[in-house]
Amino acid sequence: MSGLQGDPIFQSGMFRARSKRTIPQRPRSYLATRPPNLRYQMGGCGIAGLISINGDRISGEGITRMLTTMSERENGLGAGYACYGLFPDRRDEFCIQLLFDNEESKCLVEEFLKEHADVKKDERVFTKKVQSLAPPYPLVWRYFIKPADKREWRGNSNLSEEDYVVKLVMHINKNIDGAFCVSSGKDMAVFKGNGYSCEISEFYDIQRYSGQLWISHSRFPTNSPGWWGGAHPIGILDWAVCHNGEITSYGVNKKLVEMAGYDCTLLTDTEVIAYMWDLLVRKHELPIPAAAFAMAPWHHSDIARMDPESRLLANALRLTYKEAFLNGPFSIIVGRREPETTMIALADRKKLRPLIVGNSQDHKMVFSASEECAIRAIDTEAETWTPNAGSPMIAQVGKGVIRAGIEPPFLGVVR
Amino acid sequence: MNATVNLAKKSIGHLLPDRFRPVIDHESCKRCKRCVAECSFKAIDFIDDRVTSTGGCVACGRCAAFCPAGAIEIEVIQDQFPPHANFTERIRRGIMSQASTGGVLLSSCGTDVEHPVIFDELLLDAAQVTNPSIDPLREEIETITFLGRRSGKLTVSEKDSFAFVSEIGPVVAIDMPLMIGHISLGSVSYNAQKALFMAAKELNIIAGSGEGGLHPDFYVYADHINSEVASGRFGVTSDYLNKVATVEIKIGQGAKPGHGGHLPGEKVTDLISRTRMIPVGTDALSPYPHHDIYSIEDLQQLISVLKEATEYRVPIGVKIAATHNVAAVSSGIVRAGADFLTIDGFRGGTGSSPRIIRDHAGMPIEVAVAVVDKRLTEEELRNKVTLCAGGSIRSSADMIKCIALGADLVMVCTAALIAMGCHVCQQCHRGLCSWGIATQRPELTSRLDSDVAAARVTNLFSAWNEELKEVLGAMGIDSVESLVGNRDRLRYFGANPKVAEIMGVKHVGEGWG
Repeated sequence: MSGLQGDPIFQSGMFRARSKRTIPQRPRSYLATRPPNLRYQMGGCGIAGLISINGDRISGEGITRMLTTMSERENGLGAGYACYGLFPDRRDEFCIQLLFDNEESKCLVEEFLKEHADVKKDERVFTKKVQSLAPPYPLVWRYFIKPADKREWRGNSNLSEEDYVVKLVMHINKNIDGAFCVSSGKDMAVFKGNGYSCEISEFYDIQRYSGQLWISHSRFPTNSPGWWGGAHPIGILDWAVCHNGEITSYGVNKKLVEMAGYDCTLLTDTEVIAYMWDLLVRKHELPIPAAAFAMAPWHHSDIARMDPESRLLANALRLTYKEAFLNGPFSIIVGRREPETTMIALADRKKLRPLIVGNSQDHKMVFSASEECAIRAIDTEAETWTPNAGSPMIAQVGKGVIRAGIEPPFLGVVR
Repeated sequence: MNATVNLAKKSIGHLLPDRFRPVIDHESCKRCKRCVAECSFKAIDFIDDRVTSTGGCVACGRCAAFCPAGAIEIEVIQDQFPPHANFTERIRRGIMSQASTGGVLLSSCGTDVEHPVIFDELLLDAAQVTNPSIDPLREEIETITFLGRRSGKLTVSEKDSFAFVSEIGPVVAIDMPLMIGHISLGSVSYNAQKALFMAAKELNIIAGSGEGGLHPDFYVYADHINSEVASGRFGVTSDYLNKVATVEIKIGQGAKPGHGGHLPGEKVTDLISRTRMIPVGTDALSPYPHHDIYSIEDLQQLISVLKEATEYRVPIGVKIAATHNVAAVSSGIVRAGADFLTIDGFRGGTGSSPRIIRDHAGMPIEVAVAVVDKRLTEEELRNKVTLCAGGSIRSSADMIKCIALGADLVMVCTAALIAMGCHVCQQCHRGLCSWGIATQRPELTSRLDSDVAAARVTNLFSAWNEELKEVLGAMGIDSVESLVGNRDRLRYFGANPKVAEIMGVKHVGEGWG
């Protein structure tokens, strides 16, 4: 792997040319504040992820190369990266990373966090000026917190640490003007903004970070006015989701997460997907393949051909979680830190958006991406395959590919 | 007494001119007298070698349909009263009828008053560019629908294998998001009800029994019957409850909220007497409330009793009329343990109802289903219960819009009857239905062939299901559950944006961003 700046593709002028922005831009870009009149975000995207199986920390240079290779999949209106295994020294503290419009909103958030949590440390997140990226830039700051001892929120007492942090994040995003929380998990952070993937990588100097899992996203929105907060990955707690697709069942899925207490402030289906993973896997404790099945279930006609025990479980999941069913085209890459650092790659049940995964020859790295070129960009030798429609590929640090995405949904169901 | 009645009848005839008249083309008339035989309302006679209109035509269309020469047209007689925008002809006719009879005016079918139809003011979405539409001719689009209570949470673990311990059900699966509503034996004929049950079985959906109990001949269709427990408790026996697919407690009906069932004595024949267990010829007027349900906790007890009686094997539902406080009442019903909830809008049909109630009480199903869906979501109950909505679902478009507004499935009656031959002449309460549907007279009931009627109802709803798939595919949705309450896929295109706001539907022109 060569250095980012030395990469020929970067020097070729291709990205520079694109960054000159031949299409007209909106008069301003929005930072933490949601653009007025924005009701919903939609569009196409490129996604890429890689995970280190042996636990070695990988620099951000590789993920940048994967993502920027898929230049056809973005139009300069949003890109982002999430890194896991980022703060080994602060493994037990929630890292709340925020975008601020100004110092004033930062003061409000600090006041709020000090009141409701034990702030162990805070620091400015490194950013630098990018020539092709027009200011204003947001102020990016992170806070390492432990939830307050008495975790009471509006009469809801003794919340779990995670539920309490969710409440804090929801409050900031909903009520504090000019502040936007982009990630809130332990040992991870999200770096995102309004620009081409190469610009965002440069803005945060992504190669200065290294972690065991990276997921990333570049956008081709059809309607976004360019909002830093609305870029992907979208995270809640240690979940981060990169999503390429448009969920046609958004109104139904939103109802389910709202019923479970999540406030949808981002107005995008990706936000709902992130909350859905948190709801099904963390709160309802569903195994990842079961949660994936609820989101991308088999057709009833196929379920009818399952063995009786699998059929029972499949029907129960479809029935109970019918509002969790993500209809329409999508491919997603999901990252998670707790209890194990995990990368999940999943496409919709008709596979209307692309998804490919790969394993390095030495089985030390697992990749996932919209296009094979992203994987080839950093590993020409990797063995690649396409997961089945609606079947999750799951890779974990220390364990490798624990599910390739070509297996039946449930092996050996017992009741 | 008789003299008074006769006098009154005479004076009605004198004061109230007919609204319809069969017009006979005597040139082409073959004088076969078929029309005279077909007219159950005695509005046609054969006098002086000519077919002659004798008054009392209700425009049921039977004579015209069966005239071998095509020599009959039904004429709507216009403007028989001096024009008045306030005292409309309809108002004046009502006054005159009541002045003659001193009675409560009865009517049947859903209200014919010209209220705006919100369904017609809603437009559907379709996928373009950013997501692909799905081709129902080449891809599977699912319309299977489940009725019953859901837990909202499963307990599943995975170590070497998956294990799950949650209790599911009882749940009934039907092949499309539609059930045939409650049309009782009594309000309709044996053949008509049999046809509905046959169609339900063929379509693998369920059909309501109505409150008249279940004829032993129909026990063979029990797997596809939603049996009604109404305030009259007609025919409710454990024998019957234990055979059916689902049980529904009827609190109210859209056409007559606050009222019980009305079955005029004219229709209580020997057959009806046996299924309802009441004497021949008596009016069967069910109590207005259930006399063991004066409050929500009483309803909870009846739900529990029925669950016990059916040993928790069938879903127990509750049906209410859509009235102004429908959202809060619905929430209470779900909390009281109902497995499914049916809301019936004010346009719903009836075999007999006081016209004052039919035309003036309740609310439209479009708004009712949207506010109930919203309220149940706010109270975190929506994913526990199945929501069914009815009250004039006239077409697959209404069905689709109703689902997008929040219903899991719809309930349909009148359209099924029209499929059998009903022309919606609104005379069901008289028991003279010339099509053999809403009557018990043997010479009329024999006109309806159950096999033919069942095939027509099956055709109708199969067509609706195909149209549902077409629309879902165009929206980029491949399973109907992803449309339930998906109001984002609707836009309002009408005169009253406040209605749209209450329903949570955006106005046309309001995009996603």
